Amino acid sequence: MQHVELKDVNKRFGNFDAIKHLSLGIEKGQFCALLGPSGCGKSTLLRMIAGLEEVTDGAIYINGDDVTDTPPAKRKIAMVFQSYALYPHMTVRQNIGFSLSIAHVAKDVADKRINEVARMLQLEQLLDRKPAQLSGGQRQRVAIGRSLVRDPEVFLFDEPLSNLDAMLRVQMRFELAKLHKDLDATMIYVTHDQVEAMTLADKIVVLQAGEISQVGTPLELYNTPANRFVASFIGSPSMNFLPVTAGNNDGLNATLNLKGSDAIIVKTKSPLAKSAGGDKLEMGLRPEHISVTSADDASASIKGSVSIVEQLGNSTIFYVETPAGQFVVEEDGAKTAKSGDNVGLVFDKDNIHVFGSNGLTV
Amino acid sequence: MSATSTAAADADLVIAETRRKRVKTLDLIGLIATIVTLIVAILWAFPLYWGVVTSLKPEPDVVQPGLHLWPEHLTFDAYTYALFGTKLGLWYINSLVTSIATTVIVVIMAAGAGYAISQLNFPGRRILWWMILASFMVPIQALIVNHFILFSQFRLINTLTAVVGPQLLAPVTVIIYKQFFDSVPKDFREAATVDGANDFQLLFRIYLPMNWGITTALAIITFIGAWNNFLWPFLAVTAEEKMNITVGITQVSDAFGVKYARDLATAILAGLPVAVVYLIFQRRVTQAIMLSAGIKG
Repeated sequence: MQHVELKDVNKRFGNFDAIKHLSLGIEKGQFCALLGPSGCGKSTLLRMIAGLEEVTDGAIYINGDDVTDTPPAKRKIAMVFQSYALYPHMTVRQNIGFSLSIAHVAKDVADKRINEVARMLQLEQLLDRKPAQLSGGQRQRVAIGRSLVRDPEVFLFDEPLSNLDAMLRVQMRFELAKLHKDLDATMIYVTHDQVEAMTLADKIVVLQAGEISQVGTPLELYNTPANRFVASFIGSPSMNFLPVTAGNNDGLNATLNLKGSDAIIVKTKSPLAKSAGGDKLEMGLRPEHISVTSADDASASIKGSVSIVEQLGNSTIFYVETPAGQFVVEEDGAKTAKSGDNVGLVFDKDNIHVFGSNGLTV
Repeated sequence: MSATSTAAADADLVIAETRRKRVKTLDLIGLIATIVTLIVAILWAFPLYWGVVTSLKPEPDVVQPGLHLWPEHLTFDAYTYALFGTKLGLWYINSLVTSIATTVIVVIMAAGAGYAISQLNFPGRRILWWMILASFMVPIQALIVNHFILFSQFRLINTLTAVVGPQLLAPVTVIIYKQFFDSVPKDFREAATVDGANDFQLLFRIYLPMNWGITTALAIITFIGAWNNFLWPFLAVTAEEKMNITVGITQVSDAFGVKYARDLATAILAGLPVAVVYLIFQRRVTQAIMLSAGIKG
């Protein structure tokens, strides 16, 4: 039995379908990230699981119980909001213990629970402060503490790191990963940042326009994206997409004709029809699966000219203009080339992805 | 020194001179504005000063010809009479009871109404809101006759309940609360809902405590308005023991004719509590007036 299950869930706002026929299962103890661009419905989906949005059609189950019409407080969930939503007039202690006071938990029991949570999150010295006296990371931890104290079945996170600076975000990612490991709790995490999803999640659900594009582990989505959208969303820098035409095809060996390059033979997931010759397709190749070499290297798949170089220290990003279009190449930091240099690009043919005109991976 | 640096130095001198002239002009304008403001303040405050001074004079000295800016014979007889020769103490108590009751009930009801219209979804919410906005434009004087008939039919004329009743209609307070609750980010409500709070707990433990300043400000101006209210209490109450202070002081002049010192002493005593409240809470009063002015604007 799945710990959290959504069965054919729909959400309509007037004439607009925010979520369309969505079915999803999340196992107990799993860290599941809902990933997608703004407006894809990930926050709406999370809020439906929390009970803050009504479900138009379909059903939601938590631990086997149908909670579709159950109020949020009775669903055994806890939620960390993007803005943290810490009550500004209450101290950290009062914020963390608010749900316990609403539930009329005895004071000594509540104090014990609050102190336990404060110790776990290193908030003991801050219990008498108000939210305005805390840093961003401290507020984050108080928001998490407020969720922890409820001892919920499922933790829901709505882009909790988006208000933090880059360095703090990395630190808090580590804290969240550690928390998940310590608690072994089911966590559903909404983010538009694929780095967060890749580093934290056991399972990523990529959403587009209210529908699931693909569900899988981070490496599954990275190595075998089901469609162009997932391929473009996962990975940084983003995958290169170049128009190609299909040449002669033989089973799973497809021939791709790329402008300015010799024919490239790649293995596809499903066979291209022999009659697909001439069809317009798209070739996808990740920046780290391309190497920069000298222009007269015979092994080069295509030749081009370097337009921009970005040096990041551990890696260097080259923007190379070719007859087929621009390639973004990620090389080792030691690799040198400067703007204007003529270079050759070597493709890792085992990692070429082919997408049909419908955007699906071939 | 080169020609270029000499020209630059000359330009600096001209700019500095222009600045000095501008500052001098501004200083002069500031001085004139200060003097004018002082004169207006004196003219405004003089009647108040004159009233206090008159109340400290013996009655015969009040009608003496000439301008006596300070009493020749300082006496507290008028105050002594006002305090011990009239029912001033009882009127104070009546004013206190009706003002506090009005304040407490208005604040609680307005907070509840503002919260319901702002945060709850129920049929007719929009119409109710428009009705409250519309009622804001109806002056109390237009409703006086209706109120009188209603309260007399309920046999409540000459009771403190009748004095308080119509004062509970406070659309401004509802509007201010509604606007404040609208400005509270939705996340707080949702977080508290997930924590298990119901609407009463949301209102009294989250929304209102978020800004006690608004409640304090509204309570103070409601109290001041209720204390100073004259027209309706004058109509609703004829029995002296049920009068509040603003109506009671009219009885002093009616009973004894025009005794300026006594009349003024009674009026000063009547307005003193509110003046003290205002002096202590003037920041809050200003805040409340600005909140309601935002609506009228």
